[in-house]
Amino acid sequence: MGLKKDNDDLIVQQGPGFITTSVDKLVNWARTGSMWPVTLGLACCGIEMMHSAASRYDTDRFGVFYRPSPRQSDVMIVAGTLCNKMAPPLRKIYDQMAEPKWVISMGSCANGGGYYHHSYSVVRGCDQIIPVDIYVPGCPPTAEALINGIIELQEKIKSEESIANG
Amino acid sequence: MTESNLSLNFGPQHPAAHGVLRLIMEMDGEVVKHLDPHIGLLHRGTEKLAEIKPYNHSIGYMDRMDYVSMMCCEHSYVLAIERLLGIEPPKRAKYIRVMFDELTRLLNHLLWLGAHGLDIGAMALFLYCFREREDLLDCYEAVSGARMHATYYRPGGVYRDLPDEMPKYSANRFISEKKVKQLNYNREGSLLDFIEDFTDRFPSLVDEYETLLTDNRIWKQRTVDIGIVSPERAKDLGFSGPMLRGSGVEWDLRRNQPYEVYNELDFLIPIGLNGDCYDRYLVRVEEMRQSTKIIQQCIKWLRDNPGSVMIEDNKFASPKRDQMKHDMESLIYHFKLFTEGYSVPKGEVYAPIEHPKGEFGVFLISDGANKPYRMKVRAPSFAHLAAIDEMSKGHMLADVVSIIGTLDIVFGEIDR
Amino acid sequence: MAKENYIKLINQKLSEYSHSLLSSDHEPLFLVDQSDLVKICMILKTDNELDYSILIDICAVDYLTYGQADFVTNEATKTGYSRAVERKIIADDDDEFPDRFAIFYQLLSISNNSRITLKTFTTKSNPPSVHSINKIWNSANWFEREAFDLMGVHFKGHPDLRRILTDYGFIGHPFRKDFPTNGNLEVIYDEDKEEVVYKPVSIKTRPSVPRVIRKDND
Repeated sequence: MGLKKDNDDLIVQQGPGFITTSVDKLVNWARTGSMWPVTLGLACCGIEMMHSAASRYDTDRFGVFYRPSPRQSDVMIVAGTLCNKMAPPLRKIYDQMAEPKWVISMGSCANGGGYYHHSYSVVRGCDQIIPVDIYVPGCPPTAEALINGIIELQEKIKSEESIANG
Repeated sequence: MTESNLSLNFGPQHPAAHGVLRLIMEMDGEVVKHLDPHIGLLHRGTEKLAEIKPYNHSIGYMDRMDYVSMMCCEHSYVLAIERLLGIEPPKRAKYIRVMFDELTRLLNHLLWLGAHGLDIGAMALFLYCFREREDLLDCYEAVSGARMHATYYRPGGVYRDLPDEMPKYSANRFISEKKVKQLNYNREGSLLDFIEDFTDRFPSLVDEYETLLTDNRIWKQRTVDIGIVSPERAKDLGFSGPMLRGSGVEWDLRRNQPYEVYNELDFLIPIGLNGDCYDRYLVRVEEMRQSTKIIQQCIKWLRDNPGSVMIEDNKFASPKRDQMKHDMESLIYHFKLFTEGYSVPKGEVYAPIEHPKGEFGVFLISDGANKPYRMKVRAPSFAHLAAIDEMSKGHMLADVVSIIGTLDIVFGEIDR
Repeated sequence: MAKENYIKLINQKLSEYSHSLLSSDHEPLFLVDQSDLVKICMILKTDNELDYSILIDICAVDYLTYGQADFVTNEATKTGYSRAVERKIIADDDDEFPDRFAIFYQLLSISNNSRITLKTFTTKSNPPSVHSINKIWNSANWFEREAFDLMGVHFKGHPDLRRILTDYGFIGHPFRKDFPTNGNLEVIYDEDKEEVVYKPVSIKTRPSVPRVIRKDND
């Protein structure tokens, strides 16, 4: 359920060769070494996101550096409950990001409505609005769990064959 | 001369918007003429959801309302239920609640200071304040298991007594044993020893923050004479807490309408003079120092007075686990509590507390059932944000950021 | 001043308006008539001895299902708690609402250190309405907007009565008892139209604990 990204269903016509694999590795290393998220702290998970960027669990050492503008970022961490009123601005922000872009859904409210699943004004999971790559469970996920999610996203990016897929 | 009004949209995604705030600003050049805040971008319908759940299931919702000062919000709800039930927690539970309330006040003011500084430009402060917050979140984790949303207070007391051990760092391939021993120096004893060590270090850390800001020319230029509110206007606009005290009104619920054990504790209430952003900053920083004093008094009392932390009445408090397994009556109480919950007698009550942001109150209407009939939460930030139009008339766009910071708003409680 | 003296003082000052003391277990709760509301509030604020200078809160309540339980235990019933489906509550179709909506006002006096609560029922019209007290206490502005948004109570004389918490273009008043908890509409992104659209809600709220009223609380 939810939106899927375009290249999930793509059939690779030619298999990855030697040169594309090495360039792939280089490109993926560059991409994962500097993932800049756009600041989208909606609710309580936003505070844990701030904690993950602060002194004890510093995400800057992973190359993760928060940018206020969506046009300068490549990851969106949806941290907090997504409400019906906030859904159109969220989609606008997602559309303003340039490819390649990824989404981490942080916390149970963003994963599937969470504690507020039965409410009239809550979107049951941000994957109703944008395609999600990684889901980080927790309410809120501890800062360590978010860092684990970022590392999982790095693993996912490294396994994508970006050059072979075009 | 032609008049040119510019309509500008500030937010909802903006680094200084403190969550999801959408401000429609009408500007004449750089000067603000009218501000219209659009809220509701985090409206989750908490009060409606609370009507379909038994009382204890909604304690978690209260944490998530003001998600930077969690336990104070729980406290108000739990006090309302206790007043309707007519029960009182044991004294040790009251002291634990007061201690955690003051720790929560520190959490809130540290985040406020860090975010306010970050918005105005003092970026290093953010890292210092969050370093302190990490220690306080460790206290929350030690006592309830969760770093942020503890759900620790229950009607009748608190969930369980303070632990005798703190979680410790352990050696791995990145940290040597020697380093681990250094990091664990304050975690060798119980939770009270850890908090005591924190309160011993904290006043000097507040001195550090004050050295950075209080006499700083840039800070003063950005906060003095910005957002002045006179005492009469503050009362008329429904202000409370540091917003009211910053304007010179002497009102603090802990002193004037004491609840729990505040009447036995010794602390001062800081009051401002001019009602501008600078005064409110000074009030909150001094409140941090006074909170440290209160916590020290609570630690002393808690060390000297062991006891139970939950009432004995099994109609409202679940019996102990081994009792439940051996005794038929306890089993029945346990079953009733966990399937249906307790029923609260008919009535209406409003239970306010001195939340770090102001007066946070829960108005509870019960018709005798096991679920609330109507629960209304009075959030201080709601009334404070309503005043932003009046406070920012005639100021510049950059001052609006200072004013949003000084209001100390959090959208979890505004939008509920 | 003790609570009883306060109640006597208020009774004395409001003697020409109909009012009654509903309860004094916690703060004194006074029931007043909505036609006298503005005058009473003016007296409470401006009188030197009373001086209720801060309006703390305004709460709107819907009494449609007051005292109704899902599960009656002292006698057998034909209908019962049918395995956790939220009952669909339908309000009367009349244009006249019976004593259904009430507004609670929480007032605070700093100089006297006292709190009172005022309760007033709205008019029986559709929409139910009450006079706005924004001119007396400016903090009423947003509280009344919220009560209008969530409960549908109209405040006569309010300078800017529009929705504040619910979505743009939201239809209905969510906190009324006949509005379902999971609402009527939800949003999803339509890939063909490339925009966020509304569609009917797809979940059913099933409360796992029935609502029970127990009269044996002693």
